[in-house]
Amino acid sequence: MFRILILFFIFFTLGSCSSPEGTWGWYVIDPSTKAGWTNIKFLIGGFYSTILLSIIAAFLSIFIGLVVALPAMSDNKLLKLFNRVYVEFIRSIPLLPMLFWVFYGLPVILKSMGIDANIDAFWGAIITLAISDSAFTAEIYRAGIQSISKGQTEAAKTIGLNYYQTMRYVIMPQALRRILPPLANQFIYIVKMSAFASVIGMQELTRRANEIVVTEYRPLEIYTLLIFEYLILVLLISFGVRYLEKKLGSNESANS
Amino acid sequence: MKNTFAVEIQGLTKSFKDFKALNTIDLNIKHGEKVVICGPSGSGKSTLIRCINGLEDFDEGKISISGNPQNPTKESFVSDFHIGMVFQQFNLFPHLSVIENLKLGPMKALGLSEKDAETRARKLLERVKIPEQALKKPNQLSGGQQQRVAIARALCMEPKLMLFDEPTSALDPEMISEVLEVIVDLAREGMTMVVVTHEMGFAKKVADRIIFMDGGSIVEQNSPGMFFKKPQTARCKKFLKQILHH
Repeated sequence: MFRILILFFIFFTLGSCSSPEGTWGWYVIDPSTKAGWTNIKFLIGGFYSTILLSIIAAFLSIFIGLVVALPAMSDNKLLKLFNRVYVEFIRSIPLLPMLFWVFYGLPVILKSMGIDANIDAFWGAIITLAISDSAFTAEIYRAGIQSISKGQTEAAKTIGLNYYQTMRYVIMPQALRRILPPLANQFIYIVKMSAFASVIGMQELTRRANEIVVTEYRPLEIYTLLIFEYLILVLLISFGVRYLEKKLGSNESANS
Repeated sequence: MKNTFAVEIQGLTKSFKDFKALNTIDLNIKHGEKVVICGPSGSGKSTLIRCINGLEDFDEGKISISGNPQNPTKESFVSDFHIGMVFQQFNLFPHLSVIENLKLGPMKALGLSEKDAETRARKLLERVKIPEQALKKPNQLSGGQQQRVAIARALCMEPKLMLFDEPTSALDPEMISEVLEVIVDLAREGMTMVVVTHEMGFAKKVADRIIFMDGGSIVEQNSPGMFFKKPQTARCKKFLKQILHH
């Protein structure tokens, strides 16, 4: 917290050196003026979409990632191949082209199949973020599950557990505490990448900042605020994950 | 008993790439019989017992468990003739307490109620002489205690046959006897068992038959008395000399 205050201090005192016009124009987001307060309300209003978008995309990604990861652990070569192809293909697509493809391309395909679906910016962004991220979560699951020794699966088999029960009661509880930190990383990544949704017209934090910049001509101040908005979001996630880690015992070293 | 043999093995062969782990093994084990398998490392002892309970696939041959063919690709290890297994590395579930380790199989695989599973688990903890450790996590126990929990966990499924894969090899010397005592008790109660071990004192005490394996084949098998007094083959003599005089 102290470091953040120092950063603010540097911005305000040395601000005049770094602004193109030679001065800062914090009036654009000065809550004591009516115009400034309206701008702030508009900018902060983007939190709702960014958070909702990120949470839904993250949940989908965590689910799809598991579905993609499990075949990698099977003995079936075809299932393994499916996992490899999905991961290699999806993680090679940059987020922005994929977003364009889903938003502008996918409705055309759906239409040719006779489905008249309009993909709005919100769901377009969610689908893109979830699928793009799922290739990474799949690899995290795979690493986590494969780090549990084979003896655990064998012991589970010999006491009669089937595949699902072995995963549910023996492997996943141990794997989850190991993969929680990298999964949290991915969640933070999703929050930040959700900024791309602004280019297809999604009214989230970045889009709103852009709109005010266009009317007020104060990019430095507004983008500075934008950066701090993301900082707050990411810090909140970090605190939440630390709490979860403590509860699950991820912060203890494994002793299996 | 519809079948005289608990385990019937005919012509069992298995290779790992170029390495022949098992070479046409024939072996019948009677109900109630206690068989000890010994031999140098890499001789196929572990592979053999892992084939018996279906953990390992095999290339050729036939295994029957109490008259029913063993199928290595089976989905479920639950059967009327359940086979319990104790591993060298214990393989307890580290995220569960001792009692939860014991209750998991009966509750999930056999569908017992929590209360019945608890009763059964408590009884078995008494039997392996560590009732007071029920709520601890496995890593809070000594190696010997962990292995006894592993034995109790296997017994919780009420097996008709118990397999032990070098149950004392990962233990400190002073903990070996506490684990062997539990296995000896189990043998006295009439359990059919196959034990891979180098504890020859234990073998003398409980075994009905000792099998010596080398290079994936059964080289020699005999009653304990004859096995130690008059080993038939040079390889077996050499092996016994090495493990009895160190």
